[in-house]
Amino acid sequence: MSDLLKSDVDLEAIIAQADEDEITLRPDEPSLPPGEWMRKNLFSTPFNSVLTIVFALGALWAYRAILNFIFSENTQWDAVRVNLRLMFTQAYPDENYTRVWVSLAIVAVLAGLSLGLSKVGRGLSLKKIATWCFGWGGLIVLGVLLREPSVKTDASGESVFADANGVELVRDDLGSLAYANGDPAPSQGLELIRESFGSAMGNRTGWWIIGLLLLAVGAAIWFGLGDFRRRNTFVPAIPFGLAGVGLLVSTTWWYGWGNYTFSEEGFTYEPGELVASSTRNPWTVVFLVLVGAYIVGRAIQRTERAGTVRAITNLSWLLAPFVTFWAVLRGPVLDWGYVASVDIPLYLLFAVGGGLILWMLTNPHIGEAGRIIAVVILAIAAFTWISAFFGWFGMLQKIRLSILFLGLAALLAPNFKGDAKQRMKLIYGWLGFITIFHVMVTLINTPSSIEVPTEDFAGGFMVSIYVSIFTMIFSFPLGVMLALARTSRLPLFRVMSTVYIESFRGVPLITMLFFFTVFVNLFLPEGMELSLFAAVVVAFVLFSAAYLAENVRGGLQAIRRGQYEASDALGLTTVQRTAFIVLPQGLRVSIPPLVGQVIATFKETSLLAIVGVFDFLRMARDVIPAQTEFLGVRKPGLLFICVVYFVGAYAMSKYSQRLEKQLGVGER
Amino acid sequence: MSDTAQQSLVAAASARPPFYRDAVVVKWLAQVVTLLLVLFALFFLASQAGDNLTAKGIKTGYDFLEVDPGINLTGTIDNEPDTGGRALWAGAVNTLRLSIGGIFIATLLGILVGVARLSSNWMVSKIASVFIEYMRNIPLLVHIILFFAILQSLDKFGDTEQVFNDDGSPALDAEGAEVFEAVQGPINGWLHVSNKGVSFPRVFPADGFYQWLVFILIGALIGNFVRKRRQAVQDSTGAETYPNGSMLGVIAVFGVIGWFLHPIFGWVGGIFGAIAELVDAIPPSLVQVVLTVLAVGFAINWIRRFLDSRRTPAGLAKLTDDDWFRMIFAGVGAMIAALFIWVIWPGGSSWLVNSGRDFFEVAADKFGDGRGSWTEDPPIDAMRPDIEQRGRFANPGPAGLNFSTGFAAVFFGIVLYTAAFIAEIVRGGILAVPKGQTEAAQAIGLRRSTMLRRVILPQAFRVSLPPLGNQYLNLTKNTSLAIAVGATDLVQVGQTIFNQSGKSLEVFSIWMLFYLACSLTISVVVNFFNVRLAIVER
Amino acid sequence: MSINDATTAVNAELAGRDDIIVCDGVDKWYGDFQALKGVTATIKEREVVVVLGPSGSGKSTWIRCINRLEQHQGGRIIVDGVELTNDTRNIEKIRSEVGMVFQSFNLFPHLTVIDNITLAPIWVRKRPRGEAEQTARELLERVGIPEQADKFPGQLSGGQQQRVAIARALAMEPRIMLFDEPTSALDPEMIKEVLDVMKELANSGMTMMVVTHEMGFAREVADRIIFMESGEIVEVGTPEHFFTNPTEDRTKLFLSQIL
Ligand SMILES: Nc1ncnc2c1ncn2[C@@H]1O[C@H](COP(=O)(O)OP(=O)(O)OP(=O)(O)O)[C@@H](O)[C@H]1O
Ligand SMILES: [Mg+2]
Repeated sequence: MSDLLKSDVDLEAIIAQADEDEITLRPDEPSLPPGEWMRKNLFSTPFNSVLTIVFALGALWAYRAILNFIFSENTQWDAVRVNLRLMFTQAYPDENYTRVWVSLAIVAVLAGLSLGLSKVGRGLSLKKIATWCFGWGGLIVLGVLLREPSVKTDASGESVFADANGVELVRDDLGSLAYANGDPAPSQGLELIRESFGSAMGNRTGWWIIGLLLLAVGAAIWFGLGDFRRRNTFVPAIPFGLAGVGLLVSTTWWYGWGNYTFSEEGFTYEPGELVASSTRNPWTVVFLVLVGAYIVGRAIQRTERAGTVRAITNLSWLLAPFVTFWAVLRGPVLDWGYVASVDIPLYLLFAVGGGLILWMLTNPHIGEAGRIIAVVILAIAAFTWISAFFGWFGMLQKIRLSILFLGLAALLAPNFKGDAKQRMKLIYGWLGFITIFHVMVTLINTPSSIEVPTEDFAGGFMVSIYVSIFTMIFSFPLGVMLALARTSRLPLFRVMSTVYIESFRGVPLITMLFFFTVFVNLFLPEGMELSLFAAVVVAFVLFSAAYLAENVRGGLQAIRRGQYEASDALGLTTVQRTAFIVLPQGLRVSIPPLVGQVIATFKETSLLAIVGVFDFLRMARDVIPAQTEFLGVRKPGLLFICVVYFVGAYAMSKYSQRLEKQLGVGER
Repeated sequence: MSDTAQQSLVAAASARPPFYRDAVVVKWLAQVVTLLLVLFALFFLASQAGDNLTAKGIKTGYDFLEVDPGINLTGTIDNEPDTGGRALWAGAVNTLRLSIGGIFIATLLGILVGVARLSSNWMVSKIASVFIEYMRNIPLLVHIILFFAILQSLDKFGDTEQVFNDDGSPALDAEGAEVFEAVQGPINGWLHVSNKGVSFPRVFPADGFYQWLVFILIGALIGNFVRKRRQAVQDSTGAETYPNGSMLGVIAVFGVIGWFLHPIFGWVGGIFGAIAELVDAIPPSLVQVVLTVLAVGFAINWIRRFLDSRRTPAGLAKLTDDDWFRMIFAGVGAMIAALFIWVIWPGGSSWLVNSGRDFFEVAADKFGDGRGSWTEDPPIDAMRPDIEQRGRFANPGPAGLNFSTGFAAVFFGIVLYTAAFIAEIVRGGILAVPKGQTEAAQAIGLRRSTMLRRVILPQAFRVSLPPLGNQYLNLTKNTSLAIAVGATDLVQVGQTIFNQSGKSLEVFSIWMLFYLACSLTISVVVNFFNVRLAIVER
Repeated sequence: MSINDATTAVNAELAGRDDIIVCDGVDKWYGDFQALKGVTATIKEREVVVVLGPSGSGKSTWIRCINRLEQHQGGRIIVDGVELTNDTRNIEKIRSEVGMVFQSFNLFPHLTVIDNITLAPIWVRKRPRGEAEQTARELLERVGIPEQADKFPGQLSGGQQQRVAIARALAMEPRIMLFDEPTSALDPEMIKEVLDVMKELANSGMTMMVVTHEMGFAREVADRIIFMESGEIVEVGTPEHFFTNPTEDRTKLFLSQIL
């Protein structure tokens, strides 16, 4: 099927290029005067003028409707404010919350280092900043003017009503509505009274200030732009962005965002107060950690070691999800006796034994014996699995897996024969891998100390993000393997991978999720069960791998035949050819679609809500509307998650476009 | 050959290498062993499933398709299905409705937005881009649930309004009471939007529609003939003869005549009836034999043709291992087909016969005579949404095209979401046409409209078609999200059934088959156009 | 010295050397199209053989069979005493002893020049990286572009790329070098720089098999010329013999067309 629908033209690249052309406000070019710009872009023909007016009116109407909804007193934003923690981490207990902050801090360290180590780009042009200020300032001022006046309130903050004839009512001593002369108010036909336009405008001082300030800054920059030198001025983007975040974080110390919390005792609403210190302090620390890491990164960036540190940081990014999820957030309770008597000896056995075997196999003079040994190990691995089927030898699952990994490593080993230095690299790789594997398995097998009412401690946005990340990490190698098999010259591999890819791409994800959450335990031997979280991750990984494989295949097919021939002519083995020539080239071409796949997965995690996981969407759809205070209140929560998803997906897609540009430069 | 050559040949003469060094052997061994391991793993899982099901006392089998599922559906062709199969079919029809309607509307909307995004008008282009970014960067399911929440929070269905006479006095009913009538906005009688869903005017095939189709078909045949003739004239004389216009004209004439004369084709139904009886008379075993012969014959023919292609003047070329594999694969395929026909699903042939008979019976019924009269019944009818007042409750009446809240949320969700992606594809397609094409078209003095129609759009369409096809596939699969808002579709019905009967694997297999079939159909249809366009272009 | 004398002299000279490539009745089909029809030839150590022939005559196919980029289906090929069969050990051995230079360079675009050259020595020959880089720089010196070591192939001119490709092949210290139209994709002014490198290589005693349309090169450097047409060897001889006094009509026709 995917072969039938294969295009020879890369539309996404074309679109990315067009967007790029549109956005790049060629900073060094002078701009059109506003009148001319409008004539050219809005009123070039009578037809265009009509279109402009019609669309502008429509847009204004929609903007007004949205603002009215957002600022309406009927919209219970409290449902979101109070439940922020719930939405992001669900029932993660307050007393363990430090773990969440530690995880965030780990991410902040890595993010700061990565930002600091990144190559300094050209930054933001003043022209871009000016346009940006104009855009947002204009939108805000327009919004201030457009939004309907809010409901009039009396001295005690209660809404003011009028009867059907428009006569204003007051509240009597008991707080019930009455006419000014004391007559009781009618029971029907009451209407809320809104402020006059003038006082409404007067009440929006804060917004006026922000909007006009932005406009002023924009104008100041803009009118300075006639000067050619200013047009070529750039502001470094990262410090600029960090300063913005810093400003936001600092507001928690002086601006009354309001203190809204939700704990076992119930809800706290303190509008106008400072944010609770349990939120403010950790965020401040996380921000400082971020900035500190950034400064360190910048310092390292100028030294010789930058490359090494960058590699270590990237590796840490890969490990961070596992460490934060299993070691930090999960709070495992290790049984040290068991660890010392079983886990550590097993680990040492595989680390040392495997290392020795690999050392032997990478001996340049080993010849075919190497391959035979590898096959023997693989056969043992296969036998341990088959024996599991017949129930012959009971053994820990991780022994079986370790033998399997060792066999695979042994199969690869002959490709990495060489001098001692070369050989040690493979050994280090093996030691690193087996260490991570054993530590992970040990952690996973220990019970968690986090007590939550749901099956898993991860919920809300946390579960969505972790499912996305684990999916990404695990489906990548699987997808690459499938793509290699699908483009392989070996027909059986091709057929198997095609069958896999097409069956997974042919059915909706939701059916796969049903399969893995409802039926998968039917397929497992007795005593083995997948938790809900594991089941959905497996489903996502298998599903996403099929799509990834197609993206990677596109990249692999772009490699010219000559590259294969040259590597064959040089005597590289198939594995070496794949590792050094094919994958580096193929993956580079497929990076933009791969990021697209990551975005798709991030969005698809919302489907978890359907199969019973308490994910981000489920918080807004089911959990908040079930709270007695917010019975049936859905829209605010849904809009909030819309914003979060939008920011995430949009940022990633912009990043992918930038990446594509950079890669295009690197390719030459 | 020289002596030295002879000597070195002798010197190098080598026996066949041991198997672990033989490239071909190693290659095939690796493949076959992997395949066996995969099959073993699958077999292992399947046997586990079998054991577990037996342990739980659940019997597997597709018998639930034949028995009363005991469930009620809403908003389907059959809300009280009497068999499980019928219930699934009702769900599948809803899936198809969503998909087909969605594909049409999303395409139209997508093209509009895509063109708007490219407009030279800054306002239009910005609004289009805001729409696209908003739709694309938020998960479809969130869109759907938000739409659902919004629809649910709308005013309740049917405001009551007093009815007045033309002179302004209150209208009175037979008993002298004032008359109240339910109304619903935003455009009463045309478009109803409320917490009960959305209702549109409905256009539907009425009695006699199929007979009318016969007219259209004849018109199309004759029209095509006319078009060819006129095209030939135009090609030879150069005079503008409007070949396509003439064809449409002929079809229109036949359409108009058929609008009134359609009952005369009532006898077509009889033919289908006869075919239905004929099909019914076919013994299932004959079908089995024919299918087997077809499968085996196909494989043999394929192998023969393949060998022919490898035959050279110097005899049969040496076959590579790939060649062998292909032939073995063809043979194994035929064997599996035969196995399937005779052993795995022997009932399949009678199922085929029955479905064939049912199909022709339905056709016989639809095309049968006695439907409609010459003058009164147009083959296509339309109705506006109405309101049904039952006691104090107002409900959407049967006249309009009613989308329940959930259905509307899903439908508009997938349509808008897919439209955003289609818009980007359309834009990319137009941008992909090289600038030189526009310049060349202007250079030869084409008018702007001609240039668009003859130069830009055909090329843009060609590159957009494959990704469009992918969007259609996605749309079809995304209809399964209906389950999140309680709208009925195949997945939702399936889930209800396996919750009740425990037939999880069976239901899952039906889902897979259905969606794979849909995917394949869309791929084939889109590819058909793709190939045609590619040829036209050359 | 007459032409025949020259031929005899060359043959006598060659007779003393060992065979390094022996092809005996090599057949190759693409589907039902036979690209090689019983090609039989022997190439001696340190010999430079130029293969000529019209387009589609099977020159590339033959030369690619010799390092098993294509599999021959009939006959035998023996390279340096090792027969090309399905034996993986033999294939590995041959590949590392036979260097090949392609018409379209086929450098690895994602690797720098130095990485292009050191990749195979490190991973196939198992050289330590430092040593491999040392050799690579010497080779770049030899082909005349020592200053380009850290650039990417895309930043080089065609002639420079082809010289890097030659250096890459030489880095494996091959006993035989195969050239498949190494100059056809080059602009005229770059052809000379590549041919100079090849001449230097020939003078240094490398066994070379060259498919080319550069008649000047063939005349000057070749020990023997093999003329192919429709998958068959039509004529073999010294350059003098070939260019001044070809025996076969088809050779004459070919020469009349290109000269
Ligand atoms: N992969 C292939 N599949 C089918 N036919 C092929 C293939 N490769 C080469 N051929 C055919 O084999 C014949 C010999 O090709 P080859 O490339 O060896 O010719 P050549 O002598 O090198 O020609 P040129 O001078 O154009 O490079 C040609 O007719 C060609 O069409
Ligand atoms: Mg060639």
